[in-house]
Amino acid sequence: MDPLVIGGIVALVTVIVLFSGVSVAIGLLLVATLFLWIFDGPRSLTALPELFYAELNSFALLSIPMFIIMGASIASTRAGPDLYEALERWLTRVPGGLLVSNLGACALFAAMSGSSPATCAAIGKMGIPEMRRRGYPAEVAAGSIAAGGTLGILIPPSVTMIVYGIATETSIGRLFLAGVIPGLLLTLLFIAWAIFDTWRRGAASSVLSGVTYSWREKFEMLPRVIPFLLIIVGVLVALYGGVATPSETAAVGAMLCLLAAVLIYRMFSYRDFWVVLRDSTRESVMILFIIGAAGVFSFMLSSLFVTQSVAQWIGALEVNRWVLMGIINLFLLVAGFFLPPVAVILMSAPILLPIITAAGFDPYWFAVILTINMEIGLITPPVGLNLYVINGIAPDIRLKQVLLGSLPFVGCMILAIVILCLFPGLATWLPTAVMGVAL
Amino acid sequence: MTHTPAPSEAGATYRPPLVLRALTAVSVGFGVVAAFMILAAVLVTCHMIFVRSVLGQSTIWQTEAVIYLVIGATLLGLAYVQKLRGHVGVDLLPGLLPVPARRVLAVIVTALTIAMAATMLWYGWEMFHLAWERNWTSESVWKFPLWISYLAMPLGFGLYLMQLLVDLWIAAFAPPGALPEVHPERSLD
Amino acid sequence: ETLKLSHQWSEGDVRHKVAQMVADEVKAADVDLDIQIYPNQTLFKAREQYTPLSRGQLDMTIFPLSYAGGQQPAYNLTLMPGLVKNHDHAARLSASPFMEDIEEIMAGDDVKTLVHGYLAGGFGSNKGCITGPEDVQGVTIRAAGSSFEQMLAGAGASISSMASSEIYSALQTGVLDATNTSSESFLSYRLYEQLKCYTPAGDTALWFMYQPLLINKTTFDNLTPEQQQALTDASAKAEAWYLEQAKEGDAVTTKAFADAGVEIAEMTQEDFDAWRELAKTTSYPAFVEEVPNGQELLDAALSVE
Ligand code: NA
Ligand code: NA
Repeated sequence: MDPLVIGGIVALVTVIVLFSGVSVAIGLLLVATLFLWIFDGPRSLTALPELFYAELNSFALLSIPMFIIMGASIASTRAGPDLYEALERWLTRVPGGLLVSNLGACALFAAMSGSSPATCAAIGKMGIPEMRRRGYPAEVAAGSIAAGGTLGILIPPSVTMIVYGIATETSIGRLFLAGVIPGLLLTLLFIAWAIFDTWRRGAASSVLSGVTYSWREKFEMLPRVIPFLLIIVGVLVALYGGVATPSETAAVGAMLCLLAAVLIYRMFSYRDFWVVLRDSTRESVMILFIIGAAGVFSFMLSSLFVTQSVAQWIGALEVNRWVLMGIINLFLLVAGFFLPPVAVILMSAPILLPIITAAGFDPYWFAVILTINMEIGLITPPVGLNLYVINGIAPDIRLKQVLLGSLPFVGCMILAIVILCLFPGLATWLPTAVMGVAL
Repeated sequence: MTHTPAPSEAGATYRPPLVLRALTAVSVGFGVVAAFMILAAVLVTCHMIFVRSVLGQSTIWQTEAVIYLVIGATLLGLAYVQKLRGHVGVDLLPGLLPVPARRVLAVIVTALTIAMAATMLWYGWEMFHLAWERNWTSESVWKFPLWISYLAMPLGFGLYLMQLLVDLWIAAFAPPGALPEVHPERSLD
Repeated sequence: ETLKLSHQWSEGDVRHKVAQMVADEVKAADVDLDIQIYPNQTLFKAREQYTPLSRGQLDMTIFPLSYAGGQQPAYNLTLMPGLVKNHDHAARLSASPFMEDIEEIMAGDDVKTLVHGYLAGGFGSNKGCITGPEDVQGVTIRAAGSSFEQMLAGAGASISSMASSEIYSALQTGVLDATNTSSESFLSYRLYEQLKCYTPAGDTALWFMYQPLLINKTTFDNLTPEQQQALTDASAKAEAWYLEQAKEGDAVTTKAFADAGVEIAEMTQEDFDAWRELAKTTSYPAFVEEVPNGQELLDAALSVE
């Protein structure tokens, strides 16, 4: 049978299986097992646990639980609310100041956390109730946090960048640097939209300007953000000061955050500590289970020569390189609807990268484009991890409202992709300036 | 991602039979083990960084140990995360269905999940047994016996299978309000 | 019939070309046999290929045999310091009774060698040049292979284990001072951008790794005599080419380093002897202790002129 036909059937079966409500990891395993059984024979099933194990047998992947611990421990202390309060006091005169401060907090938190759901949860827990209390519509509150959280994987450090680096054997340090300017660009676009939207609505901004803070109130907040800044500095020193490799840095960050939680924020109770550990374990196990299953799934696609055939098909397209880039973006966008970022990257990046580089695109620039696509996937159903997080924080906001609120931010992301296509230097300049010409 | 009513009173106070609660307690126990394995991975990595950059000594075993710890935590934590309803899925369709149909779908999905976990348990045992019988080690200087790490495969999927059987029972026989929720935040404890 | 061949390298790598050559020759022989190559770890991960090969889930692989040293400790002799002096010596070793012993062990795992081949490597450092054992004192180094780690630790180096993909940034930020790996990896990871001094594999080199093309024995035995013949003929041709390319690979890497302005150091015969003496008190005893007939195997390897 033609691998492309098999690929079509696999895609259809995967969609049906995933929509049944089965967990993503088991769904991927079931589909992989079914097709291996049919096309490679029952003998191939003996390799299932080894494939699963092999996928997780990588030091760099193991930074994922550590980044999650960072987020969970910060979210459980006053560090987050303090930072948020400080930003709010300084930004009250800006239209939509609260929105802006939430987006800023997301961007700052993203600089420490490698995970979007973690960023989303940490900022959302305080941001969403606060915004709604001050008269922001539910969809704006939820949408901005859902979108702001996605910055977690674009601004370094980033779990998906690490996964991309492993899958494509590109430099992870360089990938992190490539994400910095686009991450700031996207933050600015988000903020610009938030200001414009609030100004447009008119009424909301008058609600906000009611609260004003004295300079004294503004300055007294500054010392309270120091622990937060120290952690950021500590992580950056470990990363760029010759102390730790990028994957080891996550452990430094996790350690600093746990220490800050206990020593500075006085998290002495075993119960609070356990909640941090429990939440981290839950999210880590869920993500690593999906990663292991995605490894088995991509083995199946590779063994049946599906991915290679799709790649060859895209590669053989006699089209303009920008049309090619458009097709690839469409593919990533659709894949992102159904799969979590890590799974999409593991399955498609090694296949797409040779095509991308052959067409004259920079692999680090492409990593940024891919990451923004994955960010869109995080806030679109059916598999949108950030949507699940928002739903957990504010169960009474309906999915439709969250989607409506995040739609303009999806627009910002698409605009960012267009800007990056017009000015690729935004992604490639920093890594080259810091680390020399790309590999 | 759809909205189902919050667990009803009957669901919230529902207690499954003792055997099921005991099995769930085992899952929770291994969940605690998994959590501390992840914490240990953080500590070992920091230890490695310290030994290498401050003491300037060799770091032979740490990278490997961290890998084994996190793989172990992932597998041993499967059952606990299942208990917390932490394994994400696309719950669009189940949320749209009326309760009886939702119950049927939940039973089918859980049964399929059980079949998959059983497959992984079966072949995972083979993988462990081969490494144990032939005394395979890692190829590093540390020469860590691989059966210890491979044991997490049958053990983890075995525990997961056990927790799934508990859930299958609940899906089939418990009152509607106690049906498995997809969102961990709304799990019964 | 189609055989699946998996390996970990990119399509530009010499090892991929060896696989491609065998595949092309077999196809040209027109014996109804196709070899489907899966490069870049797209089927199995780099270090996870031996088990599926020995179980027949994978038909062929090009594989550094020492990766399976945890399953068959005797394989550690295929990445042992001071055992191989240069590429011609490596070729003689491949044809020696020592290699027959290794192949017998492989046969026990249902694995058969098609193409023999060794690749050489060197040292790269940011703390002076590494030629003799005294040069690694206090140097943080990432070495390829446990026998090398034992020897370097014996020379006073501090060993740091990390994934090969992290070497570049570790050298850049100073987490690592030095590294030791194959010429091909020095080139493909572009380490010349980060290293101050490079000690290539020259007339005498310390680091040789056996990386043969393997096939599942049962799979091979089930082929028709014509198919077996075509595969054997193709392999013989590829083996000669592999040896030639291995020699050239060292020169290509050295040139890339020299062009990048990296200082090139040379390992003398005295340096080599000093390393070998050190290995005799570190890696060799460790090996002999671990493998039941380790001393015999080691003597067999050392006796090859
Ligand atoms: Na981040
Ligand atoms: Na999505």
